[in-house]
Amino acid sequence: MAEPLLEVAGLAVALGRGRGRREILHGVDLTVGAGESVGLIGETGSGKSTLARTVVGLHRAARGRIRVAGTEVTSLRGRRLRAFRRSGVVQYVFQDPLRSLDPDLTVGESVGFGIPDAGSRVADALRLVGLDPALASRLPGEVSGGQRQRAAIARAMIAGPRLLICDEPVSALDAATRVQVLDLLVALCSENGIGLLYISHDLGSVAGVTDRLAVLHHGDVVEAGTTEQVVAAPRHPYTRLLIGSAPTVDGGGMSRTERAELRALLSASSSTGGSVPLGKVVP
Amino acid sequence: MLLRVRDLSVHTGDTTLVSGVDLRLDRGATLGVVGESGSGKSLTCRSILGILPPGLRNGDGTVVEFDGTDLRGLDERGWREYRGTRIGAVFQDPASYLNPSIGVGAQLAEVLRVRVGLGRRAARDRAVELLADMGLRDPARVYRQYPFELSGGMLQRVLIAVAISAEPDLLIADEATTALDVTVQAEVLDLLADLRDRTGLALLLVSHDLAVVAQVCDEVIVMRDGAVVERGRAGDVLAAPSHPYTRSLIDAHTRYGIEKFRLEEAQRG
Amino acid sequence: MRRVLAGRVGVVSVAVLAVIALLAAFGPLLAPHDPLLQDPRAILAGPSAQHWLGTDNLGRDVLSRLLAGSTLSLVAGVEAVAVGLVLGVVPALLSVHLGRVVEWVSLRVMETFVTLPFLVFAVAMTALLGNGLQQAMLAVGILIAPGFYRVTRAAALPVATAQYVEAAVLAGASPWTVLRRHVWPKVVPAVAVSTASLLGASLVIVSSLTFLGIGITPPTPTWGGMLATDLQYLYQRPFGPFVPAALIVATVGACNGLADALRDGPSRRPARRKVVADVAAST
Repeated sequence: MAEPLLEVAGLAVALGRGRGRREILHGVDLTVGAGESVGLIGETGSGKSTLARTVVGLHRAARGRIRVAGTEVTSLRGRRLRAFRRSGVVQYVFQDPLRSLDPDLTVGESVGFGIPDAGSRVADALRLVGLDPALASRLPGEVSGGQRQRAAIARAMIAGPRLLICDEPVSALDAATRVQVLDLLVALCSENGIGLLYISHDLGSVAGVTDRLAVLHHGDVVEAGTTEQVVAAPRHPYTRLLIGSAPTVDGGGMSRTERAELRALLSASSSTGGSVPLGKVVP
Repeated sequence: MLLRVRDLSVHTGDTTLVSGVDLRLDRGATLGVVGESGSGKSLTCRSILGILPPGLRNGDGTVVEFDGTDLRGLDERGWREYRGTRIGAVFQDPASYLNPSIGVGAQLAEVLRVRVGLGRRAARDRAVELLADMGLRDPARVYRQYPFELSGGMLQRVLIAVAISAEPDLLIADEATTALDVTVQAEVLDLLADLRDRTGLALLLVSHDLAVVAQVCDEVIVMRDGAVVERGRAGDVLAAPSHPYTRSLIDAHTRYGIEKFRLEEAQRG
Repeated sequence: MRRVLAGRVGVVSVAVLAVIALLAAFGPLLAPHDPLLQDPRAILAGPSAQHWLGTDNLGRDVLSRLLAGSTLSLVAGVEAVAVGLVLGVVPALLSVHLGRVVEWVSLRVMETFVTLPFLVFAVAMTALLGNGLQQAMLAVGILIAPGFYRVTRAAALPVATAQYVEAAVLAGASPWTVLRRHVWPKVVPAVAVSTASLLGASLVIVSSLTFLGIGITPPTPTWGGMLATDLQYLYQRPFGPFVPAALIVATVGACNGLADALRDGPSRRPARRKVVADVAAST
């Protein structure tokens, strides 16, 4: 098999300084192939955002390595890191476009940032994400939430990425807008052969986007597999609870008693420092 | 009939924000209200509680009856017997409803002393008991902790304890689980359902997520742009939504949610 | 400018400052007499057709001295503010962007400046470096630098941690680009307001220093120096101190008025839209 687009191996990350330093990720393995869409699911404190931020060099790895399109990024620093970022191979879409777009720059200025002969390419990028190029002259505060997130996606697409990292890209959006933005992401990635790392706390909104899933719990990948395997037949107790907790409209799902039992099992394991081993379900 | 709302409307100046909302809720029953921000669901809740933001008012035709009493006719003194006593409420951001520099237990105990008229000792004991009822492990320890020491899910449980401390007949939960993680959300929803089953509390559950509401509620109404667009038994609405908006909400789940795989599995047999 | 002129305070302040700027530019040329020429026959004379504002204790024409002194008085104030701007704004921006060591050192240095007693420091500086205008203004500049430092840092700090800055960094922007594109526009309005108010303050200091004979030595005329001499002859010429004092008060008041107008003007975002719309309409 060819080398995957993103290869994370044995990645450990510790954050904070001095006494406050804590290891957030304890040796995580993850791959995303070219044109493949992988979901990384985890709740508050699972380390999912830390993982994503380490991939793009916003945190340093304590152990392990990260390779993106054949480049070892864990060792990149300063000028070489900037050059790698400017190459546009990896692009990042944040959760809340109100925060990730400068409120004082127009949509066009943000999208065309650092792009030579930006004018026509900005218009193309806006059209690509389904926005009227006329919106380029508006400020982020003057367009709707869905349009803002499309603009943030346009900013990522204009760089011609091979890997797109999306951190909760639809959590800040209304239900109806959410579907449109997901449709857009899926279409863009499959049409352009872009690998997608989709990070979310909510399986309920990701399952349909991804080919494979990795479930992150307290800094470890506790279960990984094809999305269908993980969703339809979860094996790790945490994954079972996570899926059994996701609100659904099909009336299926877990009973209150079942959930209560799983919670008891998981808390028994964590309060005894893992002496009730739950193991990992990883292929 | 515990709660009956007829032709509820909310206006500001010449603008109508909410109009023609009818609700009925029996003792021990659960009603879900679904809508996006701006749909009028929160203004409906606030109208029932008599706490509309300044500048907003209910229309003349609005009727809010609780257990036979017309709540709209109450003055501030009259409200005391209802708001916080017979009608409890929890909202989205639990931390902002607690004083950051007072222990959560002390705040709960104070509510018990004021609302229920318990003595200092009795209020303390009852508070620890309530915290235990909320499924908080080691309630005596939680009693002594400050809001910043607790997670969002734990804080929301403390707030639910505050809301039900006076044993209300109705609990209004407005986006009470929205800011929580999925597993914690399910835990809080399970807690609400347990409380309903155990105490006969009626629940008015408000959320932007149809699936959240469907998980707990018998009846559902869907609001959009200040009006009710769909209502019915939860199962019926999910199985056969009549309004395109409701259909789009369900569609979002069946296309991108885990339902997609369950459906595929079911089709395969 | 446009929004400064929207209010009455702004219009009056700008008008007063414009007149004073003209005085500073052309004042010495307009002087009807030699400001240093002593007329022993007319000492402490009242206003007359020949001496509109009378003469001082050495028989020098007061109007000529005021006009001739305006350049020096104002230039000195502006110079002090310029020194303060450089010594305050630059370290503030660096403290936000160059890491904890620079931050710690610059904070401590600024705190030290703040604790220094104003006049004593200025006297000490001129004693050390020699009594001259440049030395005195350097001292004043150092003393007002913490004001600029604080304001700049307060405006730059939230921007440095903003997500749109992170997004820019991920796009490969250098620290310099981030500073120019995202930080600077947020800092300028705050710095403009404090420039105006500190210009007022530094004019007062220049006046009090010349009053003490520091910075500018007799017989060179300055507003503060004249005020000092006139006060000594208050009994002979009771209206004497009034004119230089009025000029100082008017300048300082106008600077403060301008600062208020800058601060209270409508926020930048709608204003910017309006400018864009106007430009669009005019083309």
